[in-house]
Amino acid sequence: MTSSQVVKTLIVDDDVSTRRIYRMMLFRFGFEITEVGDGKSAVDQFLTGNEYDLVLMDKDMPIMDGVEATRTLRGMGIPAKIIAITTDANSRGAFFDAGADEFLLKPVNFTALADILKAFNFLN
Amino acid sequence: MDYVNLRRQAASLRKSLFDQGYLDEQFYQLEDLQDDASPNFVEEVVTLFFRDSARLMANIDQALDKCVKDFNKLDVYMQQLKGSCTSIGASRLKTECTFFRECCRDENIEGCMRSFQKIKREHSVLRQKLESYFQLLRQAGPIECATRPSK
Repeated sequence: MTSSQVVKTLIVDDDVSTRRIYRMMLFRFGFEITEVGDGKSAVDQFLTGNEYDLVLMDKDMPIMDGVEATRTLRGMGIPAKIIAITTDANSRGAFFDAGADEFLLKPVNFTALADILKAFNFLN
Repeated sequence: MDYVNLRRQAASLRKSLFDQGYLDEQFYQLEDLQDDASPNFVEEVVTLFFRDSARLMANIDQALDKCVKDFNKLDVYMQQLKGSCTSIGASRLKTECTFFRECCRDENIEGCMRSFQKIKREHSVLRQKLESYFQLLRQAGPIECATRPSK
Protein backbone atom coordinates (compact mmCIF):
# COMPACT_ATOMS: atom_id res chain seq x y z
CA MET A 1 0.00 0.00 0.00
CA THR A 2 1.04 3.63 -0.40
CA SER A 3 2.05 5.43 2.78
CA SER A 4 -1.52 6.63 3.30
CA GLN A 5 -3.97 4.21 4.94
CA VAL A 6 -6.54 5.07 2.28
CA VAL A 7 -6.53 2.89 -0.81
CA LYS A 8 -5.57 5.18 -3.65
CA THR A 9 -7.29 4.04 -6.81
CA LEU A 10 -6.92 4.96 -10.46
CA ILE A 11 -9.95 4.26 -12.66
CA VAL A 12 -8.98 3.93 -16.32
CA ASP A 13 -11.94 3.79 -18.70
CA ASP A 14 -13.00 5.90 -21.67
CA ASP A 15 -16.69 5.66 -20.76
CA VAL A 16 -17.78 8.37 -18.36
CA SER A 17 -20.87 6.54 -17.06
CA THR A 18 -18.76 3.44 -16.33
CA ARG A 19 -16.26 5.55 -14.39
CA ARG A 20 -19.12 7.06 -12.39
CA ILE A 21 -20.34 3.59 -11.45
CA TYR A 22 -16.89 2.44 -10.32
CA ARG A 23 -16.46 5.66 -8.38
CA MET A 24 -19.71 4.98 -6.54
CA MET A 25 -18.73 1.38 -5.83
CA LEU A 26 -15.32 2.32 -4.44
CA PHE A 27 -16.42 5.45 -2.64
CA ARG A 28 -18.52 3.21 -0.40
CA PHE A 29 -15.30 1.54 0.70
CA GLY A 30 -13.67 4.87 1.48
CA PHE A 31 -11.16 4.64 -1.36
CA GLU A 32 -9.52 7.75 -2.78
CA ILE A 33 -10.28 7.92 -6.49
CA THR A 34 -8.74 9.45 -9.59
CA GLU A 35 -10.19 8.94 -13.07
CA VAL A 36 -8.59 9.03 -16.51
CA GLY A 37 -10.02 8.22 -19.92
CA ASP A 38 -7.24 6.30 -21.68
CA GLY A 39 -4.18 4.14 -21.12
CA LYS A 40 -1.64 6.85 -21.88
CA SER A 41 -3.15 9.14 -19.26
CA ALA A 42 -2.92 6.28 -16.79
CA VAL A 43 0.78 5.86 -17.51
CA ASP A 44 1.28 9.62 -17.29
CA GLN A 45 -0.25 9.61 -13.82
CA PHE A 46 2.57 7.39 -12.60
CA LEU A 47 5.23 9.17 -14.67
CA THR A 48 4.35 12.45 -12.95
CA GLY A 49 4.98 10.88 -9.55
CA ASN A 50 1.50 9.89 -8.45
CA GLU A 51 1.21 6.66 -6.52
CA TYR A 52 -1.74 4.29 -6.55
CA ASP A 53 -2.48 1.05 -4.75
CA LEU A 54 -5.12 -0.11 -7.20
CA VAL A 55 -5.86 0.37 -10.90
CA LEU A 56 -9.13 -0.57 -12.58
CA MET A 57 -8.16 -0.94 -16.22
CA ASP A 58 -10.51 -1.05 -19.20
CA LYS A 59 -9.23 -2.64 -22.40
CA ASP A 60 -10.47 -0.74 -25.41
CA MET A 61 -9.54 2.91 -25.08
CA PRO A 62 -8.18 5.53 -27.45
CA ILE A 63 -4.46 6.41 -27.69
CA MET A 64 -3.29 3.44 -25.59
CA ASP A 65 -5.36 0.37 -24.76
CA GLY A 66 -5.50 -1.35 -21.39
CA VAL A 67 -3.24 -4.27 -22.24
CA GLU A 68 -0.49 -1.96 -23.46
CA ALA A 69 -0.95 0.35 -20.48
CA THR A 70 -0.69 -2.61 -18.11
CA ARG A 71 2.46 -3.83 -19.81
CA THR A 72 3.96 -0.35 -19.70
CA LEU A 73 3.20 0.09 -16.00
CA ARG A 74 4.79 -3.25 -15.14
CA GLY A 75 7.77 -2.32 -17.27
CA MET A 76 8.10 0.82 -15.15
CA GLY A 77 8.11 -1.37 -12.04
CA ILE A 78 4.74 -0.16 -10.82
CA PRO A 79 3.58 -2.54 -8.07
CA ALA A 80 -0.07 -1.40 -7.89
CA LYS A 81 -2.72 -4.11 -8.09
CA ILE A 82 -4.25 -3.99 -11.57
CA ILE A 83 -7.76 -5.35 -12.18
CA ALA A 84 -8.60 -5.62 -15.86
CA ILE A 85 -12.30 -4.98 -16.53
CA THR A 86 -13.61 -5.46 -20.05
CA THR A 87 -16.39 -6.95 -22.19
CA ASP A 88 -13.74 -8.82 -24.19
CA ALA A 89 -13.47 -12.28 -22.61
CA ASN A 90 -10.75 -13.22 -25.10
CA SER A 91 -8.37 -10.63 -23.69
CA ARG A 92 -7.93 -12.44 -20.38
CA GLY A 93 -4.69 -14.13 -21.39
CA ALA A 94 -3.26 -10.94 -22.87
CA PHE A 95 -3.99 -9.01 -19.68
CA PHE A 96 -2.40 -11.60 -17.42
CA ASP A 97 0.63 -11.84 -19.72
CA ALA A 98 0.92 -8.06 -19.48
CA GLY A 99 0.93 -8.25 -15.70
CA ALA A 100 -2.65 -7.76 -14.54
CA ASP A 101 -3.51 -9.27 -11.17
CA GLU A 102 -7.15 -9.97 -11.78
CA PHE A 103 -9.65 -10.00 -14.62
CA LEU A 104 -13.36 -9.19 -14.54
CA LEU A 105 -15.94 -9.13 -17.30
CA LYS A 106 -18.25 -6.16 -17.66
CA PRO A 107 -20.73 -5.42 -16.30
CA VAL A 108 -18.86 -5.55 -13.01
CA ASN A 109 -20.64 -7.30 -10.20
CA PHE A 110 -20.26 -5.33 -7.00
CA THR A 111 -19.86 -8.47 -4.89
CA ALA A 112 -17.24 -9.97 -7.22
CA LEU A 113 -15.24 -6.75 -7.08
CA ALA A 114 -15.51 -6.64 -3.29
CA ASP A 115 -14.25 -10.24 -3.08
CA ILE A 116 -11.18 -9.34 -5.11
CA LEU A 117 -10.52 -6.27 -2.98
CA LYS A 118 -10.75 -8.41 0.14
CA ALA A 119 -8.29 -10.87 -1.36
CA PHE A 120 -5.95 -7.93 -1.97
CA ASN A 121 -6.39 -6.95 1.71
CA PHE A 122 -7.87 -3.61 0.70
CA LEU A 123 -11.01 -4.25 2.72
CA ASN A 124 -11.34 -5.28 6.35
CA MET B 1 -51.08 15.63 -5.93
CA ASP B 2 -51.89 11.91 -6.03
CA TYR B 3 -48.53 10.55 -4.90
CA VAL B 4 -49.81 6.99 -4.63
CA ASN B 5 -50.90 7.02 -8.24
CA LEU B 6 -47.62 8.59 -9.36
CA ARG B 7 -45.68 5.92 -7.50
CA ARG B 8 -47.83 3.25 -9.08
CA GLN B 9 -47.16 4.69 -12.54
CA ALA B 10 -43.42 4.84 -11.87
CA ALA B 11 -43.36 1.25 -10.63
CA SER B 12 -45.39 0.09 -13.62
CA LEU B 13 -43.10 1.89 -16.08
CA ARG B 14 -40.05 0.46 -14.36
CA LYS B 15 -41.47 -3.06 -14.53
CA SER B 16 -42.29 -2.66 -18.21
CA LEU B 17 -38.71 -1.62 -18.95
CA PHE B 18 -37.53 -4.97 -17.61
CA ASP B 19 -40.41 -7.04 -18.98
CA GLN B 20 -39.91 -5.66 -22.48
CA GLY B 21 -36.16 -6.26 -22.34
CA TYR B 22 -35.05 -2.65 -22.44
CA LEU B 23 -33.15 -3.10 -19.17
CA ASP B 24 -31.39 -6.05 -17.57
CA GLU B 25 -29.94 -7.08 -14.21
CA GLN B 26 -27.19 -4.46 -14.38
CA PHE B 27 -29.78 -1.73 -13.80
CA TYR B 28 -30.62 -3.39 -10.47
CA GLN B 29 -26.96 -2.98 -9.48
CA LEU B 30 -27.16 0.73 -10.17
CA GLU B 31 -30.28 0.95 -8.02
CA ASP B 32 -28.53 -0.99 -5.25
CA LEU B 33 -25.66 1.49 -5.32
CA GLN B 34 -27.97 4.47 -4.86
CA ASP B 35 -28.28 5.63 -1.27
CA ASP B 36 -29.30 8.62 0.81
CA ALA B 37 -25.93 10.27 0.24
CA SER B 38 -26.40 9.99 -3.54
CA PRO B 39 -30.18 9.90 -4.02
CA ASN B 40 -30.00 10.71 -7.74
CA PHE B 41 -27.14 8.39 -8.62
CA VAL B 42 -29.09 6.25 -11.10
CA GLU B 43 -30.49 9.25 -12.94
CA GLU B 44 -27.03 10.81 -12.96
CA VAL B 45 -25.44 7.73 -14.53
CA VAL B 46 -28.24 7.41 -17.08
CA THR B 47 -27.87 11.09 -17.99
CA LEU B 48 -24.13 10.60 -18.50
CA PHE B 49 -24.85 7.55 -20.64
CA PHE B 50 -27.26 9.37 -22.97
CA ARG B 51 -24.96 12.34 -23.30
CA ASP B 52 -21.96 10.20 -24.21
CA SER B 53 -23.86 7.75 -26.37
CA ALA B 54 -25.34 10.61 -28.40
CA ARG B 55 -21.79 11.77 -29.14
CA LEU B 56 -20.73 8.26 -30.17
CA MET B 57 -23.76 7.88 -32.39
CA ALA B 58 -22.98 11.20 -34.10
CA ASN B 59 -19.48 9.85 -34.83
CA ILE B 60 -20.99 6.67 -36.27
CA ASP B 61 -23.40 8.71 -38.38
CA GLN B 62 -20.48 10.69 -39.82
CA ALA B 63 -18.48 7.55 -40.47
CA LEU B 64 -21.44 5.92 -42.26
CA ASP B 65 -21.90 9.05 -44.40
CA LYS B 66 -18.42 8.78 -45.85
CA CYS B 67 -18.11 7.34 -49.34
CA VAL B 68 -15.38 4.95 -48.29
CA LYS B 69 -16.52 3.03 -45.23
CA ASP B 70 -13.94 2.36 -42.56
CA PHE B 71 -15.32 -0.78 -40.94
CA ASN B 72 -12.55 -0.86 -38.34
CA LYS B 73 -13.41 2.63 -37.17
CA LEU B 74 -17.13 1.81 -37.16
CA ASP B 75 -16.40 -1.28 -35.09
CA VAL B 76 -14.35 0.71 -32.59
CA TYR B 77 -17.12 3.26 -32.13
CA MET B 78 -19.73 0.56 -31.74
CA GLN B 79 -17.56 -1.34 -29.28
CA GLN B 80 -17.46 1.80 -27.14
CA LEU B 81 -21.22 2.21 -27.39
CA LYS B 82 -21.78 -1.43 -26.50
CA GLY B 83 -19.56 -1.13 -23.45
CA SER B 84 -21.49 1.89 -22.33
CA CYS B 85 -24.82 0.09 -22.83
CA THR B 86 -23.50 -2.85 -20.82
CA SER B 87 -22.62 -0.63 -17.89
CA ILE B 88 -26.14 0.71 -17.44
CA GLY B 89 -28.00 -2.46 -18.39
CA ALA B 90 -29.41 -1.21 -21.70
CA SER B 91 -30.06 -4.73 -22.93
CA ARG B 92 -31.83 -4.25 -26.26
CA LEU B 93 -29.35 -1.59 -27.31
CA LYS B 94 -26.48 -3.86 -26.37
CA THR B 95 -27.88 -6.68 -28.48
CA GLU B 96 -28.24 -4.43 -31.50
CA CYS B 97 -24.69 -3.13 -31.03
CA THR B 98 -23.48 -6.73 -31.20
CA PHE B 99 -25.35 -7.26 -34.46
CA PHE B 100 -23.88 -4.06 -35.90
CA ARG B 101 -20.37 -5.27 -35.05
CA GLU B 102 -21.07 -8.57 -36.80
CA CYS B 103 -22.08 -6.60 -39.90
CA CYS B 104 -18.78 -4.68 -39.63
CA ARG B 105 -16.84 -7.92 -39.49
CA ASP B 106 -18.69 -9.13 -42.60
CA GLU B 107 -18.18 -5.67 -44.21
CA ASN B 108 -21.92 -5.68 -44.78
CA ILE B 109 -22.66 -1.97 -45.15
CA GLU B 110 -26.38 -2.41 -45.73
CA GLY B 111 -26.60 -4.49 -42.58
CA CYS B 112 -24.71 -1.78 -40.70
CA MET B 113 -27.04 0.92 -41.97
CA ARG B 114 -30.19 -1.02 -41.06
CA SER B 115 -28.79 -1.94 -37.69
CA PHE B 116 -27.79 1.61 -36.93
CA GLN B 117 -31.28 2.87 -37.75
CA LYS B 118 -32.61 0.37 -35.25
CA ILE B 119 -30.03 1.48 -32.69
CA LYS B 120 -31.14 5.08 -33.11
CA ARG B 121 -34.79 4.09 -32.62
CA GLU B 122 -34.04 1.96 -29.56
CA HIS B 123 -31.86 4.71 -28.11
CA SER B 124 -34.62 7.27 -28.55
CA VAL B 125 -37.31 5.02 -27.07
CA LEU B 126 -35.17 4.11 -24.07
CA ARG B 127 -34.31 7.74 -23.49
CA GLN B 128 -37.98 8.76 -23.55
CA LYS B 129 -39.03 5.96 -21.24
CA LEU B 130 -36.28 6.61 -18.71
CA GLU B 131 -36.88 10.37 -18.78
CA SER B 132 -40.56 9.69 -18.06
CA TYR B 133 -39.62 7.28 -15.30
CA PHE B 134 -37.30 9.72 -13.56
CA GLN B 135 -39.82 12.52 -13.94
CA LEU B 136 -42.44 10.36 -12.22
CA LEU B 137 -39.96 9.54 -9.47
CA ARG B 138 -39.24 13.21 -8.90
CA GLN B 139 -42.92 13.99 -8.69
CA ALA B 140 -43.76 11.01 -6.50
CA GLY B 141 -40.77 10.94 -4.18
CA PRO B 142 -38.79 7.77 -3.32
CA ILE B 143 -40.57 4.47 -4.02
CA GLU B 144 -39.86 0.88 -3.05
CA CYS B 145 -38.25 -1.07 -5.88
CA ALA B 146 -40.66 -3.44 -7.62
CA THR B 147 -40.05 -7.13 -7.21
CA ARG B 148 -37.63 -8.54 -9.73
CA PRO B 149 -39.25 -10.37 -12.62
CA SER B 150 -38.87 -14.13 -12.42
CA LYS B 151 -36.40 -15.63 -14.91
